[in-house]
Amino acid sequence: MATQTTKIIIAVIVLVVVAAIAIYAMQKGAQTPTTTASPAPATETETAPQTTPTETEAEAAPAEIPKKIAVVYDIGGRGDLSFNDMAYLGASRAAKDFGLELVEVQSTTEADYLPNLRSLAKSKEYLVIIAVGFLMTDAVKQVADEYPDQLFAIIDGYVPDKPNVLSILFKEHEGSALVGALAAMVAHHYGCKAVGVVLGMEIPVLYKFEAGYYWGIRYGEQVYEQKTGKTVEPLQVLWTYTGAFNDPARGKTATEAQLEQGACVVYNVAGATGLGIFEAVEEAAKSQGKDMGPPFAIGVDSDQDWIKPGFIIASMMKRVDVGVYTAVKRALEYRQGKIDKYGGILELGLKEGGVGVSKLEDLETFLSIAEQAGRKVNKEEIMAKVKKMRESIPAWIWEEVDKLAEQLKTNQDIEVYGLKFSDIAKMIPLDANEIKQIRAKLGVPEG
Amino acid sequence: MGLEKISGVFERIIPLADVLVAIAVGFVASGALMEVGGYNALEAFRSLFEYSFLDTYYLSSTLSFAAPIMLTALTFAVGVRAGVFNIGAEGQLYLGALGAVLVAAFHLPGFLYFPLGLALGVGFAVASAAVAGILKAKRGVNEVVSTIMLNWIAFWIVEYMRTYQIADPHDPSKTIPVPPQARLPLLISGTELSAAIIIAIAFVIATYYILWHTVIGYEIRATGLNPDAARYAGIRVDRSILASFIVGGVAAGLAGFLEVTGRPPHYAITTGLSNLLGLGFDGITVSLMGLNHPLAIIPASIFVAALKVGARGMQIEAGVPLEMVKAVQGIIIISLAAPGLIRTIQARRRAKLVEEVKPVAG
Repeated sequence: MATQTTKIIIAVIVLVVVAAIAIYAMQKGAQTPTTTASPAPATETETAPQTTPTETEAEAAPAEIPKKIAVVYDIGGRGDLSFNDMAYLGASRAAKDFGLELVEVQSTTEADYLPNLRSLAKSKEYLVIIAVGFLMTDAVKQVADEYPDQLFAIIDGYVPDKPNVLSILFKEHEGSALVGALAAMVAHHYGCKAVGVVLGMEIPVLYKFEAGYYWGIRYGEQVYEQKTGKTVEPLQVLWTYTGAFNDPARGKTATEAQLEQGACVVYNVAGATGLGIFEAVEEAAKSQGKDMGPPFAIGVDSDQDWIKPGFIIASMMKRVDVGVYTAVKRALEYRQGKIDKYGGILELGLKEGGVGVSKLEDLETFLSIAEQAGRKVNKEEIMAKVKKMRESIPAWIWEEVDKLAEQLKTNQDIEVYGLKFSDIAKMIPLDANEIKQIRAKLGVPEG
Repeated sequence: MGLEKISGVFERIIPLADVLVAIAVGFVASGALMEVGGYNALEAFRSLFEYSFLDTYYLSSTLSFAAPIMLTALTFAVGVRAGVFNIGAEGQLYLGALGAVLVAAFHLPGFLYFPLGLALGVGFAVASAAVAGILKAKRGVNEVVSTIMLNWIAFWIVEYMRTYQIADPHDPSKTIPVPPQARLPLLISGTELSAAIIIAIAFVIATYYILWHTVIGYEIRATGLNPDAARYAGIRVDRSILASFIVGGVAAGLAGFLEVTGRPPHYAITTGLSNLLGLGFDGITVSLMGLNHPLAIIPASIFVAALKVGARGMQIEAGVPLEMVKAVQGIIIISLAAPGLIRTIQARRRAKLVEEVKPVAG
């Protein structure tokens, strides 16, 4: 009985305390908006003393450009050494340059995308809400319809025909051409017979990676012949669709098959399946007693060079940071009345700095921001390994890749095997027939 | 007479007192953690509360997140009532969801998708639950081990199907969506709150009725309290245990089915089952919080859902990063589940003790 009474007394005390805290918190919450809002009308009255404060407040409210931007990360979250970290990089730069406040929201599950976007849009406090990654496409579409006055941007997602949504896409064929050239030159440098690419599910989006890569390979071979004065056998180009984007085991098997056929550079166009590509390449090199390639893999989407340092020669990067920065800038210009159209598709290529081949500096920036986000990375060791690997390739090869990047920015009429790069660019989006034609022209056998 | 009555009221209040103390401990400890981490704890808790309840949209979001974990909590609770630790809700939920999208692969008259998907999803889930149930009831196989293994089997079956058999050709990161005719209507448009919550609550109440007002329910509970006494009283213990697994399987399968047919915008299963992951395990904490009582599970699930939904507010308004938010959630949930967990373990030990004493007594 005594213990029961004590319990009840405790319960009552707790109830009172909790209620008191709740009331205090509520009052504090009610105060916060007023305190933050009060300076604004005060400055208004200073600049325009003629009008009464109430009028200025009413007039200023709708014209004022929101001072906050929001980034919604997908389930990978900060510290992913990929899209989300790059998005943070771009958003924080934009916030600093344009004097905006950055609000970050992470998603625990896929079910969070819609409520995250809705909660932000509902407050009407944001200049632009940026959704990172194509997984949020459906959610963005829906919330954009519900809040037509709110500006959105989606990275790597395709939402055409909505005036308040900017879809930031990347010209992957341009980046793929660069890594193709790199692959070919590296392969010939080591006297290999073949280069390969392992892809995910066969969907048209991947055809532009293929086309760019094959074109780059043939271009790289020509450059190699010119540079060294040797005539070389054209490389055999191997390609495999694994049918999945998250099956590392299949990625590994497919890569092992290509390595057996003599490939010494394999391009990852397969999402998480690609982790198997990296593993296969590392194992093959290690079984020959080497602590770095060849064989090499090529990373994709983000700078993946850190995953297996020494075995990933470079990565075809989509510069999500550039995309996010561009979206914020565009939203600001639109709200300032400098441009009259916001929404639509914005494709970022070499010219806009939207795609590129990873460099050592990229890796350093990248590892640093991942460290900031609380991820443990062995920065010095990774950097040292990647540097050693890069230095094992003749410097002229790297220079030629940079040269091609510069050329493609201004002139896409470069022709190899009777196919101009601009011809490929014009055909995009490619369908199954067109990629067959491209393969045939560039001497890539059908599977 | 009067005194007895007062004492009776006290008896009923005691669990409530436990819960209140637990809430206080959870909030104070996690608040201290946030203050140490340099965040404003009061502002964080205020935004947690605001973003989970203080608005039609936020409230409906909370309720929508409560629906699946309410059902998976029921799976665990019914198990505990029968004296078993059934942690198979996670995998059974995946299978329930699979049923909902699997039917979309076939051309059927529109009205058939919902009932067929439901039957298929719940059927898969029950099949999986029955494996663990039969192993336990007939062979005494430890249900914790078997359900953990079955969870993985379910995960890989559904993931295999999602990757290779029923992937959406337009977006291979998810399965084909549930056909529009089979989707649950939204209770409030512009929110995520679908009819799933009504079905979930109805199912929980029905299960409560079965447990406390039917013969099989009585047998299940008697088995849980003391299997030997139950056997001695002529109750078929194996049948009771199997029944608890079946009811649990229906609840978890239903949870998965409702989650996929009721949640916009995808109405599909996404990469790595990332829209379903953890909903089954959340149910265990919800059940423990609700002291494994079906009716107490309803408020407990709403509380846990509010913590999840309010996490948004903590990030947006108070600038608390998700990692810290998760730590806060963890502390609150652990302190709330602790009383239930202790009770459950005590009950188990008592049952064990009876078993050990048996030879001497017999």
